[in-house]
Amino acid sequence: MATQPAVETERASGGVRRPRLWLVGSVVAVAILAVVPLLTDRRDLLNLLFLVYLAVCLGQSWNIIGGFAGQVNLGHAAFFGIGALVARNLWAVQGYPFSLAFLAGGLAAVAFAMVIGVPTFRLRGVYFAIGTLGVGEVLRLTTANALPLVSALPTDLVNTYDLASRYELALALAAASTLAAYVLLHSRLGLGILAVREDEEAAQATGVDALRHKLVALAISSLFAGLAGATFAYYHVSYYPELAFSPHWTFDAVLITFIGGLGTLIGPVVGAVFYVLVREQLAVTLVNVHQVIFGILFIVVVLALPGGLVDLSSRLCRKR
Amino acid sequence: MSPQLVAQNLVFGLFVGSNYGLAAVGLSLVFGVLRVLNVAHGELLMVGGYVTFWLFTLTGLDPFLSALVCAPVLFVLGLALNYGLFGFVERLDEETKIKNSLLISFGLTLVIQNAAQALWSADERSVSSSLVAGGTVVMGIALPYTRLAGLILALLTIVALHQLLQRTYFGKAVRATAEDWEAASVAGIDVQRTYLITFALGAALAGVAGTLVSIQYSIAPAVGIAWTLKALVVVVLAGLGSIFGAFAAGLVLGIAEQISVFILGAAYREVVGLVLFLLVLVLRPQGLFGSRAR
Amino acid sequence: MLQVNGVDARHGDVQALWDVSLEVRAGEVVTIIGPNGAGKTTLMRTIMGLHTPSAGTITLDGTAIHTLPPHRVSERGVILVPEGRRLFGGMRVLENLEVGAYAPEARRRRAETLEFVFETFPILAERRQQQAGTLSGGQQQMLAIGRALMGLPRLLLLDEPSLGLAPIVVQQIFQVIESLGRQRGVTVLLVEQNARLALEVADRAYVLEQGRVAGTGRAADLLSDSRVQQAYLGYAPTPTEAPA
Repeated sequence: MATQPAVETERASGGVRRPRLWLVGSVVAVAILAVVPLLTDRRDLLNLLFLVYLAVCLGQSWNIIGGFAGQVNLGHAAFFGIGALVARNLWAVQGYPFSLAFLAGGLAAVAFAMVIGVPTFRLRGVYFAIGTLGVGEVLRLTTANALPLVSALPTDLVNTYDLASRYELALALAAASTLAAYVLLHSRLGLGILAVREDEEAAQATGVDALRHKLVALAISSLFAGLAGATFAYYHVSYYPELAFSPHWTFDAVLITFIGGLGTLIGPVVGAVFYVLVREQLAVTLVNVHQVIFGILFIVVVLALPGGLVDLSSRLCRKR
Repeated sequence: MSPQLVAQNLVFGLFVGSNYGLAAVGLSLVFGVLRVLNVAHGELLMVGGYVTFWLFTLTGLDPFLSALVCAPVLFVLGLALNYGLFGFVERLDEETKIKNSLLISFGLTLVIQNAAQALWSADERSVSSSLVAGGTVVMGIALPYTRLAGLILALLTIVALHQLLQRTYFGKAVRATAEDWEAASVAGIDVQRTYLITFALGAALAGVAGTLVSIQYSIAPAVGIAWTLKALVVVVLAGLGSIFGAFAAGLVLGIAEQISVFILGAAYREVVGLVLFLLVLVLRPQGLFGSRAR
Repeated sequence: MLQVNGVDARHGDVQALWDVSLEVRAGEVVTIIGPNGAGKTTLMRTIMGLHTPSAGTITLDGTAIHTLPPHRVSERGVILVPEGRRLFGGMRVLENLEVGAYAPEARRRRAETLEFVFETFPILAERRQQQAGTLSGGQQQMLAIGRALMGLPRLLLLDEPSLGLAPIVVQQIFQVIESLGRQRGVTVLLVEQNARLALEVADRAYVLEQGRVAGTGRAADLLSDSRVQQAYLGYAPTPTEAPA
């Protein structure tokens, strides 16, 4: 089977070799990254890192439903978009504090996810894929129709805008989503979810409630996607609301996860860094062609290298 | 609300629905036979629309006639895509095959959409027909000729497909393969070749649909995914695997949308499809015309 | 005619056939009997090309066929009537038969073959426009055999033709199988759970147990073999062989 990542060894060895070293290393890395805004004023660097953190969160969130639960979600943009829509509306239009808007965005995304998940998860996997794709597109088109004008921050919010807080929020989200994936992977719930991915019928036979596990995975996935969307809404001074529902957010999430390593813990991180950095480079030189290249790369990964970069690197390590 | 207004809306719903139906039939055919869900179907439709546009712009060929060129061009493209890409997943077991074909066609969507944007820019393009213009009014209902011709072309295509599947030996092979590919193989049918040609047929159907879309709407790289969505909703409405039911379901969706626009306004047009989709899944998952709950 | 040599077959990680060898000579009716799950269906599917052996060879008149896809095996005259019939339920009886004659040679001669099939199974002639899925079990089995016959088989593989059918229908079908062998010169390889019927209609037999060939011989000999009688023909042990 083309998509069968090596999560089993992940669980057995607690993630990677020498998990404690990785844990300490991660904490240190996050701490260092957290103080970057204090050390520099370069907006281009902070913006780039912001995009990387957002990408990590997108990847980790998609990985939970697509990698761990094995359910192909083609409408991740819907959850991102709802998070952005709700958060932006509550914060920029209605004046609620952002912390409230942030959480509301995440929860709204979860609610929508359940609307799609409950009817489709009872049926074959293809219905979930169609349903998510459908929700994503319908929301985008409807938002474009209903809210065609640019959403601009009111002056008081523009005046109090500071990039550093956006940066820290995105970093925290990237760390939180990775932590959530780690905790899930090592929990009994996570074991059930992985079992459902491997063979749903067999899992049911051993007492795993497949529907419940899929819904939980979807809830966590959509929560982080929604929070990422809310962060996006916090970050931009002005943007077209329909942009938050653009399918490219789904593409990004799927690409990052696959290229990095489906179903692994650090895959989305590796994929995010790789993708954002390479994209920024290519986008300057070849405007649309970079997406074509990534699309082809993605197809190649699905067909030939389902473990992504993580798998590739571990294979190379073994050869030495 | 006069009966004329109702009738006008119904008729327009039929016009719109015939496009939805034609767009969906190719997707349904490919899924029913190959068990491959080609999420890039709308991109193929979009390419078909561009073929029509460029033929019109460069040679002046009337768009209604260019369907005759579009179909073979997209047929060849379909052959290439199946041979070079989807063919690799066809030997997998059904669940994995569906999953992988979803992912691959998703990647393909990205590739084709952005390639189109790089080549032809994001501008909207449209064509107009000189052969077919104007309209008539029958019993107070306006019938623009382009719309009428579109409906007729869609119907002709569906009838041709039906004849192909019902009366020719190849058509029987396709239907047999769709029912049980192993039994078909034992009966002497080259299943790989049947898959190849069926996929190409699906692409050709998308091409013809694209021609109609370029005439009645406009074409831009971004429309591909919107049409994929329409086709998907219709296919689920009809029931996965019901080929001609997909055309009927397309008409149903067209009419439903038209009614909702009339009542709720144009902004929420797309929501109708999604609501119908969810309703079908909850109440009758095998679709309106599906035979068993697959 | 057909030689199966040392064939191993696997389903994923599970091995289903171990070093299976058998042969079928032209004009014979050979049967394979054995318990459920012994691998009989796997063997038939492997011969047909629906399954690739992990070891061993299968040859037809000396040419290897185990590497060929099913439609090529079918072209060479080996046709399977699968377990459970596997008809094209949404298509009509006549269409099922026509599809059976898909290969070029079979298609050329399909008119005369159709006549033969209708003679053999008059009920199919009556119901030729009926949807195959609505036929009764026995009629479906007849259609499945008829469809295979349309392909002009030299070797007909039958997998559990009696499954789920009433005894009187089974009798009819086995009469047909016997006549195919004797009168039309079609070689038959038959897998059957109903060991008695199979041994009565066959010339030779193989016993397959747990993926291995456990025995072989003339059908008449096996019918009177006490072990076969006890294991597959439902005979109780004789009083002097009281169970331990």
